[in-house]
Amino acid sequence: MRITGWSGGLAVAGLLLAGCGGGPGGGGKISDGGVVLAVLNDQSGIYADTSGRLTIEAVRMAVEDYRARYGDKAVAQKIDVVAADHQNKPEIANSKAQELYDREHADVILDVPTSSAALAVATVARNKKKVFIDVGAASTELEGKSCNKYTFHYGYNSYMLAHGTGSEVTKDGGTSWYIVYPDYAFGQDMERTFSAAIKAAGGAVVESDPTPFPNDNFSTFLLKAPGLDPKPQVLGTMHAGGDLVNLVKQYNEYKLRDKGVQLALGLLALSDIHSLGPDALAGTRYTTMWTWSMDDQTRAWADKFQARNGKRPTSNMAANYSAALQYLEAVQRAGTDNSDKVVEQLEGHTFEDMFVRNGTIRAQDHLLLHDAYLSQVKPSSEVKEPWDYEKVIRTIPAAEAFQPQPDPACKL
Amino acid sequence: MIMSRLARSGRGGIALLVIGLLAALVLPWLIYPPVALDIACWALFAAALDLLLGFTGLLSFGHAAFWGGSAYCTGLIALHGGMPFPVAILGGAAFAALLALPIGFLSVRLTGIYFAMVTLAFAQMIYFVANQWRDVTGGENGLQGIPRELFGLDLYDPFFFYYAGLPFVLAGLLAAWRIVRSPFGRVLVSIRDNPARARALGYPVDRYRLLAFVLSAALSGTAGGVFAIGHGFASLDGLYWTTSGQVVMMVILGGIGTLWGGAIGAGVVVQLQDFLATAGFEGIGIVTGSIFIVIVLLFRRGIWGTARHLARRRGLSPAGGSGGGPAGSPGLARAPASPRPAGGPPGATAGERC
Amino acid sequence: MLQQAFNGLVGGSFYALLALGLAVIFGMLGVVNLAHGAFYMLGAFGAFIALDAFGLNFWVSLALVPLLLGVAGAVLERLFVRRLAPLDPLYNFLFTFGLALILQDLVRREYGVNSQPYPRPRELAGTVDLGLFTYPAYQVFVLAVSAVMCAVVWVVLTRTRVGVIVRAATERPELTRALGIDVGRWVTPVFGFGVALAAFAGVLAAPMRAVNPLMGADLIITVFAVVVIGGLGSVFGSVAAGFAIGLVSALGNLYVPALSQILVFILMAAVLLWRPAGLFGREEAFR
Repeated sequence: MRITGWSGGLAVAGLLLAGCGGGPGGGGKISDGGVVLAVLNDQSGIYADTSGRLTIEAVRMAVEDYRARYGDKAVAQKIDVVAADHQNKPEIANSKAQELYDREHADVILDVPTSSAALAVATVARNKKKVFIDVGAASTELEGKSCNKYTFHYGYNSYMLAHGTGSEVTKDGGTSWYIVYPDYAFGQDMERTFSAAIKAAGGAVVESDPTPFPNDNFSTFLLKAPGLDPKPQVLGTMHAGGDLVNLVKQYNEYKLRDKGVQLALGLLALSDIHSLGPDALAGTRYTTMWTWSMDDQTRAWADKFQARNGKRPTSNMAANYSAALQYLEAVQRAGTDNSDKVVEQLEGHTFEDMFVRNGTIRAQDHLLLHDAYLSQVKPSSEVKEPWDYEKVIRTIPAAEAFQPQPDPACKL
Repeated sequence: MIMSRLARSGRGGIALLVIGLLAALVLPWLIYPPVALDIACWALFAAALDLLLGFTGLLSFGHAAFWGGSAYCTGLIALHGGMPFPVAILGGAAFAALLALPIGFLSVRLTGIYFAMVTLAFAQMIYFVANQWRDVTGGENGLQGIPRELFGLDLYDPFFFYYAGLPFVLAGLLAAWRIVRSPFGRVLVSIRDNPARARALGYPVDRYRLLAFVLSAALSGTAGGVFAIGHGFASLDGLYWTTSGQVVMMVILGGIGTLWGGAIGAGVVVQLQDFLATAGFEGIGIVTGSIFIVIVLLFRRGIWGTARHLARRRGLSPAGGSGGGPAGSPGLARAPASPRPAGGPPGATAGERC
Repeated sequence: MLQQAFNGLVGGSFYALLALGLAVIFGMLGVVNLAHGAFYMLGAFGAFIALDAFGLNFWVSLALVPLLLGVAGAVLERLFVRRLAPLDPLYNFLFTFGLALILQDLVRREYGVNSQPYPRPRELAGTVDLGLFTYPAYQVFVLAVSAVMCAVVWVVLTRTRVGVIVRAATERPELTRALGIDVGRWVTPVFGFGVALAAFAGVLAAPMRAVNPLMGADLIITVFAVVVIGGLGSVFGSVAAGFAIGLVSALGNLYVPALSQILVFILMAAVLLWRPAGLFGREEAFR
C-alpha cells in the first residue's frame, strides 16, 4: 500500500516536472536541456552477465570519450545516462520504453536484449518518433518486417552468426554437416541460414535435428552423429547459454572429436568458454562480432574497462559503447538531438571505431554492416592471461558478414 | 442482528464499490497510463483466479495458459482478422474458455495440491507448444504489431486506450462478483467447504468445479486480451509459469476469497515491479519470494482480508469473533476464507493462525 | 537403439532421484516442495563451491553436500514448514515457491547466470565397454548409483522399523498416530532426507550438465508431471515413472522430435484420464 502511494506520488511529481520541463526556453537545438541516453536491458535474468549493469558503464565511457573529444565544442553539453531493467519481460520493456521517452526525455534507447522485448520497443520508437539502437537482440526481424525509421540494429544478428560459421568452416574443408538446433525462433532462423550458407559454400547437410528447448540431455543426438551416413565431419550447433554448456559437456563425454566429428558453433560467449574451460572447446570455431583481445585498440579499451569495473568486457558491452558513441557523433554532426535529423546523419554513415571496422549503417534497413570474425578457442596451453581464450582466425568482410540485400519486407 | 449486519455490509459494499469505481476512473491521472492499464488487467486476472481459489477452493498454478493463450488469440484476430479490438478480446476470452474445457476436465479430478501441480504442468505444455509453433505465434519474437483501432479511431495513446479497455475489465469484475453471489456461487462455496456433503446433497461436484474453472479461464482470457491489445503484442512470457505465480501472489497478497483484494494485490505488485525496473536493485526474485514468504507465514488474510477483519472486529460485538459468518453473502461479508480441499485438517482456516 | 534406451535411463535417473525426494517429503508431511528444483541447483553449486573454494573433489562433495543441505532442509522444516503444516497444504506450496525464487536469485547475484565450470572426476573420465556398445564411464556411474540409491531407499522403507513407521505415517497418518507411534519425531529427518536426495542429484549433475542458477527451475515442472504419472503418494511409482519418462523422452527425441518436449505432459494427461491417482497411486488418497 505504501509503495502504491509513494509511487503514485512520484508519478504525480513526474507529471508536474514534465509540464515544467517541456516548456520553451531550452535553446531549440537540444530538447529538454540535454541529451539523455537510456539503457534498457536485463539486469536480473539470463542476460544479466553478457549485458546488464556493466553495459551502462560502457555507455558512460562513451559519454566521457565524446566529451573528451569535443570539449566546449560539443553540441550536447549536458548528457545523462539513465537505465531500466526490463526483467526480460516484453510488457515491462514496452511500458518502460514509453516511460523513458516520455518521462525521462530519453533521446535514444540502447541495448534491449530478448527479441520479443526488442521488437516491442521498436514499435514504441516508431510511434514516439524517437531513436532506438538495438544491440542485444539477435532477431533479423528488427531489420525485416518490423523495421522502422527510428530503429537501428547494431552489432550482430542470427544471420551473421550462422552464415559466418557455416560458410567459413565449409570453405576450410568441413564439407559434411550434422546440425542440431534448439526448436524455437532463434534456432530455427539460425538453422535455415546455416544450411543455406553451407550449401552455398559447396558443403552438404547430412541431417538437421531440432532439440527441445531448454534441454539438458543431448545424448540422443550425440549418439546418433557418428553413425550417420555419410559420417558428418562437423557437428554444427546453434545453442546458447546453459544448453550449449550441456551439449559441449556431453560432446566431450562421447569423445566425438576423437571420432572425427568437429564442433562448430553459431554463438559462443566468452563466459561459456570460461565455464567449460578452454580445453573442452579447444579448436572449436564460431563467429563473433568482437573480442577484447583482438588487437591493440580493443585491448587498450578492455584495459580501461577492466580498471574501472574489474572485469573484461563482453562483445555486447563494447557494442553498446560504440552505439552510444556513434549516436553522440551523429548528434554532433546534426547539431541537434532532433530524432529525424539524427536518423538522417546515421543513415548511410560510414565509420570505424574501437568496436566497428569497415562499418556502414545501411540506409534501406538500418542494419549496421561491419567486419565479423571467425574465431577459434585456444587450448589452455596457449592461454597467457585470464579470459584470453579466443583467437581470431579470419576476418569476414563487412559485405559478406551480414545479409547481402535488405529484406524486401522492410519498409521504413 | 444478522439482518442489521447484512444491511450494513450492503451499504458499506456500495460505498466501497463507488470508491473502487472512482479509483479505476482516475487511475491514469495518478500513475503512468500504460502502468494503470496493466494494473486494471491484472486486477481482473486476479479476481478471476480468486473465483477459483477463494470460492471453489482450487489453486490453479497454470492460469498463465488462459491469460497468455487469449493474448495470442486476441492478437491473431485483430492482426489477421482485421476485427475491431472488442471483437478480438471476446474471441480471445472464448478461446480461453475452450482451452479450459479439456484442461479443466482432466484437472478437476484432483484437488488441492494435485490440482496445482497438474495445472502447472498443463500450462507448461501450452508454453512449449506456443514456443515451437512460430508460424502462428511468432515463437520467441512474440506476436508483434497488434493494431489498436476502433472504427478507424486510432487509440494509440495509452491514456485513451485505458478508457477503451476499462469497460471490459469492469464488466469482467462485475461478472465475477455476480457469479460469486449467485446460487451457483454458493454451491461452489459449499463444495469448497465440504465436498463430501455437497456430493451427498446431490450436486455433481466435478461438473460445478469444471464450470467454475471455465468461467475463471474466460475472465482471465478477457484480461489477457485487453493486455495484449493494450501493449500491442502477445509474447511467450504471458504463458510462462512465472505469470501464473505472479497472479497467485496478487491474490494472496490482496486476500484469498475477497475478490476485490486481488485488485489491490495487482496494484501493489505492478507498481513494485515498475519501481524495481529503475531502482537498480537487480533482485526481483528476492523481493517477490520474500513477499510470498511473509504473507504465507504472517499475513495470511492479505491486505483486504486484514482490513475487513479489523473493520469487522471494531464494529462487531465480541461474540462475533467466531469466524463462522452468515451463510448468506460470500462476496463481501464472509469470514476469511481458506482454500480447503478435501481431506484437509478440519477447522484449520487461514484466519485462526494470524 | 539400445544405446539410446540406455541414455534415456541415465536421463531418467535424475527424474527418479528428484521424484523420490519429492514423494518421500510429500508422503510424510503432505507438502509439495516447490523448492526441490532449487535444492537440486544448490547441490550442483555446492559441488562447484567445494571444489572452487575448498579444493574438495567430487567424491567428498557427493557425500558432504547432500549432508549439509539435508541439515539445512531439516532446519527449514523446524523453523517454517512445521508452522504451516497444520494449515492447508497450499500454504507450504506457496512458501516453498517463494523460497525457490529467493534461493535462485541469491545464487544468481553471487555467481551470475552463466554456467560454472565443473570437471568430471578423473576416475570416471574414460568409457566403459558394455558388451553391445561403449559408453562414457561417468554416465554409467550415474545410472548405477541412482539405481542403488533408489533401491536402498526402497529397502529401508520396506525392511526396517524406521521405514515401516515412515510408510505407515505416509499412507495412514491418523491410524499410525492412533497406534501410539510418535510420527512427529520422524518428520524433520524425513524432510531433510528428501532435500538431501535433491542435493545428491545436483552433485551428480554437476559434471555432465550446466551448473547455473536456473538449472532446477524448468526441470522441477517435468518432475511434477513424472510424480503425477507415478502417483504422488507412491515411492515406487515415482521412481519407476522417473526412469520410464527418461526412456520415453530419449526415444521421443529420436522418433518424434516435434513432440518430444510435450510428450511427458501428454502422458500425464493420458494417465489422469485413465487413472487419476497415477499409475501406482491409491485412489482414496486423492479424494
